Amino acid sequence: MWRKYFSLTRAGILDSLQFRLSLIFTVVGNLLYLLLIYYLWRAIFASVDSPVINGMTFSDTMVYLVFASALFNFMEMWIVWTVGREIQEGKIVIDLLRPMNYLTYIFFRGFGEVVVKFLLTFLPTAIVVFFVSDGAIPVGTNLIYFAISVCFSLLINYYINFFVATICMHTESIWGINIMKEVIVGILSGATVPLAFFPQAFRSIAMVLPFQTIINSPLQLLLHPEYTAVQCLQILGLQLIWLVVLRLLAEWFFRVSLKKITVNGG
Amino acid sequence: MEPIIRLDDVSKEFKVLNRHEGLKGSIQDLFSRDYRIVHAVNHISMDICPGEIVGYLGPNGAGKSTTIKMMTGVLQPTSGKIVCNGIVPYKNRSENAQKIGVVFGQRTQLWWALPVIESFKILKDIYQVEDAAYKDMMDLYGSMVDLDALMHKPVRQMSLGQRTLCDILAAFLHNPGVVFLDEPTIGLDVAMKAKIRELIQKLNEEKNTTVILTTHDMGDVDALCKRIVIIDKGDKLYDNDMEHLSNLFGAYRTLSLLLTKKKDACDEQQLDELAASVKALLADKWDESTCAVSRNEQQIEILIDEAKVPMMKVLNAVQEQHKIYDMHLQEISTESVIRKIYEGGMA
Repeated sequence: MWRKYFSLTRAGILDSLQFRLSLIFTVVGNLLYLLLIYYLWRAIFASVDSPVINGMTFSDTMVYLVFASALFNFMEMWIVWTVGREIQEGKIVIDLLRPMNYLTYIFFRGFGEVVVKFLLTFLPTAIVVFFVSDGAIPVGTNLIYFAISVCFSLLINYYINFFVATICMHTESIWGINIMKEVIVGILSGATVPLAFFPQAFRSIAMVLPFQTIINSPLQLLLHPEYTAVQCLQILGLQLIWLVVLRLLAEWFFRVSLKKITVNGG
Repeated sequence: MEPIIRLDDVSKEFKVLNRHEGLKGSIQDLFSRDYRIVHAVNHISMDICPGEIVGYLGPNGAGKSTTIKMMTGVLQPTSGKIVCNGIVPYKNRSENAQKIGVVFGQRTQLWWALPVIESFKILKDIYQVEDAAYKDMMDLYGSMVDLDALMHKPVRQMSLGQRTLCDILAAFLHNPGVVFLDEPTIGLDVAMKAKIRELIQKLNEEKNTTVILTTHDMGDVDALCKRIVIIDKGDKLYDNDMEHLSNLFGAYRTLSLLLTKKKDACDEQQLDELAASVKALLADKWDESTCAVSRNEQQIEILIDEAKVPMMKVLNAVQEQHKIYDMHLQEISTESVIRKIYEGGMA
């Protein structure tokens, strides 16, 4: 039963290990990005008298942002690019003819790469941050909540990406739509700037949208050991609701789009 | 025999958006209602029996791929009904996918960066093929092609021919009832084409797999198909045996005659006169539709409908008046019949 999913994941792992150089560049690029935000935020904190802005110290902010970018990177499955291109080139026909649900198939096809990136980029980053930050990451039940939350985030992120990829069926252009998605998800998920830094009104809007459950939710669970079990379950519950809603939405939108669209090629 | 695929009065219309340019236009298009209707397939019915190899032919844009996509369940027909393996494919796509195999000559279903054997293992798991059945299949493949040379090579390093070969093997791996081959020999050299045809033939015989073959290569058709279906502009034009095809426009053969010495530098006028005199000679006896005369360089070509007049009679008639230096007889090829159909010869 689970064999086909395991098999697809395994293929993805083998696949991404073929491209070692690309993995190395991902790590290097990520490090450069972290260097950039380090100096940016040092400048921001230096320009203010108080060592705490919006309830976050410099070290809090850095831990948050390093984790945010590490999460964001390992979750990226390039769904909009790959599925979008397959739609454009008509190659989607082949994958539609796999004897399994298309959404599930595409997820597990990309999941192997996520596993590789988790082991080779996220985990090392987390370990380094843990030792460098010297106690900024609390250790306790929060790690379990965090782990569950990240699994939910991964799926939520996937369904959002899949939904956007389906839009490509209608527009047949990928570039513009993908850029738009990256900006929206980057800001509203809290991946580029912690949500605490946004004005109250903007933050309230962000909190009712699904995007914040991708990065903000797991990081809140990780960095706030003082949350009660009820609070933690509330955050996870909200993620689960979005997960189900987005899955249904993505599935529905894809089915409707497929009916309307001519499959390219031939 | 109970058909394995049945198409019952199937039509497919596409609503095609009249598109606008740019990102702004694209977003506009999301809400636009500016459609035109394209009739890709019109009221096609056919039954395909288990074990048949059916050539599904038609010029580019005739609606072949659309029909294939409906039979595989990717597209839903606008009207009419399709049943494949007892399943309505567009209603149960994944269930149907379990029982069919596909090869698109221009695309591969194999994992690009991985050795072929890895792709096969994944397909084995996806299609839930039993270990024993998988082993049997691989043994059968081993008896047909040199597997060792192929299996451990990454797909991206393969030649197109090797890749197509592997794609065909992959399509038959889960022993499906029907295999759809969409231009399997496109872009291949003569030797590879022959090899691929032989492989398809053998697999069809061995497993009694029904094969639906679309191609533009009449060599494929001659080598593999007993029955062909031709469509154009969405309409079915022909659905019968190959033997009937050659009789479709009468039993034509072309007689090619050389009535001047080869080395002679004959001027154009002389040859035209010669052709005209042959034409006049034959026109006395038979009408134009029975034997038509034309000139091709030095050759005089006579297209003879042998249902009406034996070729020897025509030859005799010419010989009485002219000295024949050389002659040969051409069977009308599948290709020229098909071309005639495509060009509207049926109308």
